Amino acid sequence: VLCVLQKTIRHLKAVRGLHKPAVEVLKHPAPEDTVTASFGRFISEMKPQHLSPVVLQRSKRMVLDSIGVGLIGSTTDVFELALQHCQYMYAADDISSVYGRRGTRLSPTLAAFVNGVATHSMDFDDTWHPATHPSGAVLPAVLALSDMMPAHNKPSGLDFLLAFNVGIEIQGRLMRFSNEAHNIPKRFHPPSVVGTMGSAAACARLLSLDASRCSHALAIAASLAGAPMANAATQSKPLHIGNASRLGLEAALLASRGLQASPLVLDAVAGVAGFNAFYEDYVPQPLESPSDGGHVFLLEEQDMGFKRFPAHLGMHWVADAAASVHKVLVGVDPGTVSPAQVQDILLRVPQSKYINRPFPESEHEARHSFQFNACSALLDGEVTMQSFTPAAMSRPDLLSLLRRVRVEHPHDNPANFSHMYGEVQVTLVGGDILKGRCDTFYGHWRNPLTNESLRKKFRNNAEVVLPSEKVEMLVDVVEELDGLGDCRVLLSQLQ
Amino acid sequence: MMGITESFGAAIHALNTTQLTDGVINRSKRMMLDTLGVGLLGTRTAVFNKALTYSQLFTCEERSSVWGKSEMNLPPHYAAFVNGIAVHSMDFDDTWHPATHPSGAVLPALLALAETLPSRPSGLDLLLAFNVGIEVQGRLMRFSREAYNIPERFHPPSVVGVMGSAAASAKLLGLSPAQCSHALAIAASSAGAPLANAATQTKPLHIGNAARRGLEAAQLAQIGLEGNPAILDMHHGFGVYYKDYSPSAMAASGAFKWILEEQDVAFKRIPAHLGMHWVVDAALAARAKLQNTIGSFDLSQIRRVTLRVPPSKYVNCPLPVTEHQARHSFQFNACSALLDDKVSVASFSEAHISRPALRELLSKVKVETPPDNQPSFDKMYCEVEIETEQGHSHAARCDTFYGHWRKPLSQRHLVEKFSFNASSVLCTEGVEGVVEVIGNIERVTECSVLALYLRMTSNPQEELHCVNI
Repeated sequence: VLCVLQKTIRHLKAVRGLHKPAVEVLKHPAPEDTVTASFGRFISEMKPQHLSPVVLQRSKRMVLDSIGVGLIGSTTDVFELALQHCQYMYAADDISSVYGRRGTRLSPTLAAFVNGVATHSMDFDDTWHPATHPSGAVLPAVLALSDMMPAHNKPSGLDFLLAFNVGIEIQGRLMRFSNEAHNIPKRFHPPSVVGTMGSAAACARLLSLDASRCSHALAIAASLAGAPMANAATQSKPLHIGNASRLGLEAALLASRGLQASPLVLDAVAGVAGFNAFYEDYVPQPLESPSDGGHVFLLEEQDMGFKRFPAHLGMHWVADAAASVHKVLVGVDPGTVSPAQVQDILLRVPQSKYINRPFPESEHEARHSFQFNACSALLDGEVTMQSFTPAAMSRPDLLSLLRRVRVEHPHDNPANFSHMYGEVQVTLVGGDILKGRCDTFYGHWRNPLTNESLRKKFRNNAEVVLPSEKVEMLVDVVEELDGLGDCRVLLSQLQ
Repeated sequence: MMGITESFGAAIHALNTTQLTDGVINRSKRMMLDTLGVGLLGTRTAVFNKALTYSQLFTCEERSSVWGKSEMNLPPHYAAFVNGIAVHSMDFDDTWHPATHPSGAVLPALLALAETLPSRPSGLDLLLAFNVGIEVQGRLMRFSREAYNIPERFHPPSVVGVMGSAAASAKLLGLSPAQCSHALAIAASSAGAPLANAATQTKPLHIGNAARRGLEAAQLAQIGLEGNPAILDMHHGFGVYYKDYSPSAMAASGAFKWILEEQDVAFKRIPAHLGMHWVVDAALAARAKLQNTIGSFDLSQIRRVTLRVPPSKYVNCPLPVTEHQARHSFQFNACSALLDDKVSVASFSEAHISRPALRELLSKVKVETPPDNQPSFDKMYCEVEIETEQGHSHAARCDTFYGHWRKPLSQRHLVEKFSFNASSVLCTEGVEGVVEVIGNIERVTECSVLALYLRMTSNPQEELHCVNI
């Protein structure tokens, strides 16, 4: 059809003397038809009534969990370091709250930064499929921005939840543009890629930017996205989430002042990479306008995974598998396993270099080690926050077990959070073989944490830094978030 | 055997002023002067003003100068940010081979940092740190073949620029070798912006952010933040930004040679993408030939203009609308040259871009990408052929434009460019002061004296007036 059209045009050109560039204009989509523009429209047209009950419920669980892990994360070294940096470089701005630090406030983007760092500091935050940690990139920015808004014009709880969900939705949509995103990442750390975009989208929504500025916010954010996987399992990893939150907010603020960027950043233009620079395969799809009705949030179809202990998601499979072996070994009475009983430990796990560490040397490495988490669970029956303390990590019994571990990567075990499994096979000195297998750990989206378990996790985390009255207030406020007239009630409980 | 990242950390720490050769000092001073000039001119752009307004949200005990502003200062990170934006705001800054804009990512960070350091670094300290920042960028680009061609995926300043800024800042801060390595690792997580934002108003932020975030990386490393100590060694480390990646170690002693000594930079005569310089020189030459043949130059006699250029999507723009697009358009720059017999700062104003005569000429342009025309700033050429209504052809070819590293700007012309740019903002005393200080930088006891001159504006009221050029 295009050939025919071109021939026609050429003929007309001879007759009417059409300019050649006019032909080229016909070959390119009108600005409004681009994927990028559809995203901008989507964000700007999204309204509270578009949030279904399921989405409201699931996202409130995410908000609660995220605040809790952020609060506990405010006790870590990396958080302290990031906070020091921000306070040293910038005098206190009386604006945005820092998790768990009474009286400490920072400029909005810096508060988003440190709170994001806190959220990811212990790898305790939520995980989605395709894989990323969506909430830590969005919630700190939305909180910081809400703090920034004038007292007489604070967002309602529903506005707040709407912005949050827009930020989550955009991340989910972007990840579905590539097959690469569906597997455990190898190149770019996903929160640094889609998290920045999600934060920009959420903040653009909260600022009520028009469709064009929403698009530009995304485009500006794209230039701030992307960090290499090599910094995962290091102290810098939490900064990926901190920066995603901060820079997405920054992008939205710049867009609100009229800064412009590529109107084709999400579209795939041959020879000039936009957002597809971060992926080897990339097929973008436009988003339909929510005003047309019938939009279903991805969160409705694909629930979130919440972690029971602070480590990479993959660790939860081997921990559960190893725990079942532990139970058999100790019998009816609780006790510890003795390494003397164990001859050999075989792990059958997916192939993924950055979580395959035989002898982790730091807490960050330990949170990213199949071997460490399997052996901890085998020894203690479970993995907890305490498993990653220096004392726990250097136990001779643990090290003994670690020396006996072998790892296999069965072909039927893909590096994919939706399809992987973890198997722990322990050969005892006597020759007996005990096998534990986990297909779906408790906390995975297929086997979600109950509300009770989620709240227990939240209380355990939050009570380390906040008094119990505030902790209970937070549980209640988040539960009622969509009914709150003013989100200040939430903002004032975080420190 | 030292790892590669470790070797970089060691080199950044160990490189000292005795290793600065005359050649490198001379070339890097030219780069500093040119960068300051284009930066000063850039403080009058819309993108700079947006970034400045945004940056004024932040307060800090430490304050650094904003170039071209007598009364204002910002937290050091944001001074680095806005000044870096200014430098790249008009695409007027230096370009190297392999391709990047090295100075804009480094100098703004160093000057902002220098103003806050109690150790009061000397001009020589500044010169050394600057060269460390340039050297690291050059080294990193040589780790891949992809870097040698005009980019398609990531905008190079956003990849290597932040690393250079981190290295330079680490040097000026006097960090230990391990801290220098970690500064690079932290910076790597701040690298990489897609090329699609080139030719838009956001492009200058790539340089601004490179400067800012490299400085931040060094300061985080200083207070003990750690990243991956093998960040440069790994494919899933710094290698993620390239399709092919082959890193090698850096030695700081023995037979150390600065890359700048062997490979000079290009300075621009026109505030546009480097590729435009070839097409402009060719267009001017073709125009002269036409003029010689037919006498007075009449546009209506042109039937067609053919450009033979290397293939590069993001500078192939038949009908640019914004100044950013115009700076990235072979077609626009060729036609401006044909129409006005020159291309200058003024050619990119909205009024100039939308002239009917120019649009008319643009409609007659055809672009060809001959197979022997490689998308590399070291190898490309441009040909402009003008075909008249009478059927005559006048063509000219440019292999090396004046300002390219093979045909460097004379010192006189470089200083002229600086003075022209700086005078748009500074008074004569300021303009001359900067030339003087940079000219003698290796003898200056406190490099922050530069900031005093950068703030000597000609008319304080004019600072409020943003001119869209």
